Formats: sequence, structure tokens, C-alpha cells
Amino acid sequence: MSLKHTFEENPERRYIMFGGKGGLGKTTFSAASAYWLAKQGYRVLVFSVDPQASLSDIFQQDIFGKGAVEIMPNLYAQEIDADQRIREYQAEIRQKILDMYGLDQVPEEIENYIQAAAAEPAMEESAIFDAVVDIVVSADYDYYIYDLVPLGHALYYLSMASVYDQWIDKITALRSEMEEYSQVAAVMQRKKESQEDAILRELQYIKERINKSSGILTDRQRTAFFFVVIPEEMAILDTKKAAGLFAKYDVPLSGYIVNRVIPESLAQEAIPDYLRHRLDMQKGHLATIERELGSEVLAYIPELERDITGLGMIEKMAYELFGG
Amino acid sequence: MSEEEQNKASFFDTAKSILYGLAGHDMSRYALKTRGSMEHLFILITMGDLLGIPILPPYYSLRILPYVVPQISTWKRRMLRERDLTDALA
Repeated sequence: MSLKHTFEENPERRYIMFGGKGGLGKTTFSAASAYWLAKQGYRVLVFSVDPQASLSDIFQQDIFGKGAVEIMPNLYAQEIDADQRIREYQAEIRQKILDMYGLDQVPEEIENYIQAAAAEPAMEESAIFDAVVDIVVSADYDYYIYDLVPLGHALYYLSMASVYDQWIDKITALRSEMEEYSQVAAVMQRKKESQEDAILRELQYIKERINKSSGILTDRQRTAFFFVVIPEEMAILDTKKAAGLFAKYDVPLSGYIVNRVIPESLAQEAIPDYLRHRLDMQKGHLATIERELGSEVLAYIPELERDITGLGMIEKMAYELFGG
Repeated sequence: MSEEEQNKASFFDTAKSILYGLAGHDMSRYALKTRGSMEHLFILITMGDLLGIPILPPYYSLRILPYVVPQISTWKRRMLRERDLTDALA
């Protein structure tokens, strides 16, 4: 089975993700897949959920925080500026407080809290998480390609979704119970009805957002998650571990792509011992990959002669990934 | 509405108020007091980082902040005050 086939056989797929250790080529494959799909006539958005995004580098165009930027016909790329989003969000909250209570300025204690909350480390992840929901609910594209963060972050992202979900269920239940007590008091005092609980509505909104986002990550019909691995011992071990963890979170694993394979044909030429050793070592690791992942490997990608940046090299990589 | 009917209506209203005072008032006061305690619990688990106890991810606790602004100062007082004998009487 090739990568091209998996796309042809699953036309209902909309969300494509590449995962793996940092620096193995996730951004490269995201960009190359986006390029190939766009050439097939689909409208594609490739976007980065990594605070240290590198799509700008690969497309050689500054797209950071500029929304969806058209790279070529049908191909759009976006890098989410988490800081900017947090600042806008803080301003929105401040404005809401001023409007609700008719104040001229936010009370000092509340302002301090708003400032402190924005400095929390989880804030950035949450802001990006939330921004992704905005992007995918708009449904403007045929394919959404997530340029995923390195494994640890991705797992954090997933576990955060399930923790949030349970958490919000609990506080929503508490809130509903509170509502019941208000109603009892209202009935006793013969008031028509208690005031509608705006907080309950907020909680339900938050829950809906979180479910939408984590729902996509675990949707077997519409989501494909590809793992990127290279023929090196540490990478193989880490990937196997990560694949196990992802399976635990019900992420649909759709296959592996082996990157950075030094072409075997080099062994026929006069090459230094250094390279010959590397080739031998690689042979062993490729055998391990073949044995353990075998049929799930969708493509072996050779180490190209130079960095993959710019549309020319992306096209070349797309050819390696999908064939013509 | 005739005068007699008006008298009758106001009599029933008064009777309802007396009944409420006898039976319902305590119950509704109790319900509101319970609700008040729960409100404080709710703020603790959503806005906990105001006291240095982060529980809800801050991105989402900010969404709830505007609704609890008036309660925050009484809540903080309640959470941070020391307990003494007179609390048992409250």
C-alpha cells in the first residue's frame, strides 16, 4: 500500500496529521502533502499548531500570524500567533467586564489575575487548541493538514482534551445543582423563574469547543495520523513508544513514513568508510522497521541532496512521497 | 373588580405571605445559603489561581471571570479568614 492509495481509498478523509520526534521531517511532509493534494485540485490548508512554527521557513514566505496565506492556487498555509491571540482574548475579557458592570476600568485585583493567567505555560497551548477549532469549524477547505508539534506536546494536547472534558462535566454538574437550589428559593418566594445561569452556558460552550477539537483527533473516518520515523535506533524506539501511547488515546494510526534513507545504490560507488558504516547500520535498522512495522510503512523517502525549502524542493518531495 | 373581591384578593395575598413566612422563608433562606456556599466552591475550582491553586486551565477560567467579579472579594475573604468560635454560631 502506498501513501497515494491511502488517500484514494479514503475520500472522506479531511484531517491529515504527521507526528514524530522533532526534526524528522513532519513539516516537510505536511508541506509536500499539501502541495500534492492542491495539485490534484483540492483546496488545502496546511497549518501549524507549534508555537515555534516553521512553515514560514519551508515556504520561504513570512506567514506568521497573518491568517491563511495563499501559497499557490488551492494551497493555503497558516501559522497561528498564540501571543497575539492571547492578547486579543485578554482585551475581550476586559471589555466584557467593563460592559457588564458599567465600569471605567477593570478592578486592580481582577486585572492582576488577567495578567497572571496569560503568563501560565498552558496558556499558549490552550490558545492554539482553541484557534484550531475556529479554523476547522469554518469548513472552507477540502483538506486540513496539521503540522503537528513534536510527540510530547501532541500527547499533552490529547491528554489535555480528555482531562478538560471530564473536568468540565464535573463543574457543569455542580453548576446545575446550584441552579436547582436557586429554583427552590425562587419557587418558595413565588418568583416566576430564577435568572438564567450565564455561567452554565459558558461552561457548555467551553465543553463543546474541547469536544470538537479532540473529536477530530480521534475520528477514524475523517482523520489520518501518519508517523514519521528515520532508520536510527533511538527514533525507532521512541516512535514505537509514542505509537502505543497514541493508540491509548484512540488516535487512528494510518501508517508510517520512513524518512532520510541514504540511497543503497551509493554502496556500489567509491565512498569513504564513514559512509559505508552508516549504510551498514542503516541496513540493520531498515530490517527492524521492515520486521516490526512492515505492511504499515507507506513510503521510504531518500535523503535528498539539499534542504527542503521553496516550492521547487517541495514538489520534488511530493513526487518522492506520492509518485507522479 | 368590586370592592368585596378586592378585599378577598388582598386577604389571600396576606394569608400567602404569612404562610410563606411560617414555612417557606426558612427553607428558601436555607436553599440560598447552600447555593451561596456552592458558589464559593465553584469559584474556588475555577478561579483557584487567585489564591495560588491553579485548577481549571487558565484559558477557560478567564471566560468565566466576568461573571464572578462581584463575588470575588467576599469569596477571598471567606477562603482566607481564620476560623474561630463564633463561626459555629453563624
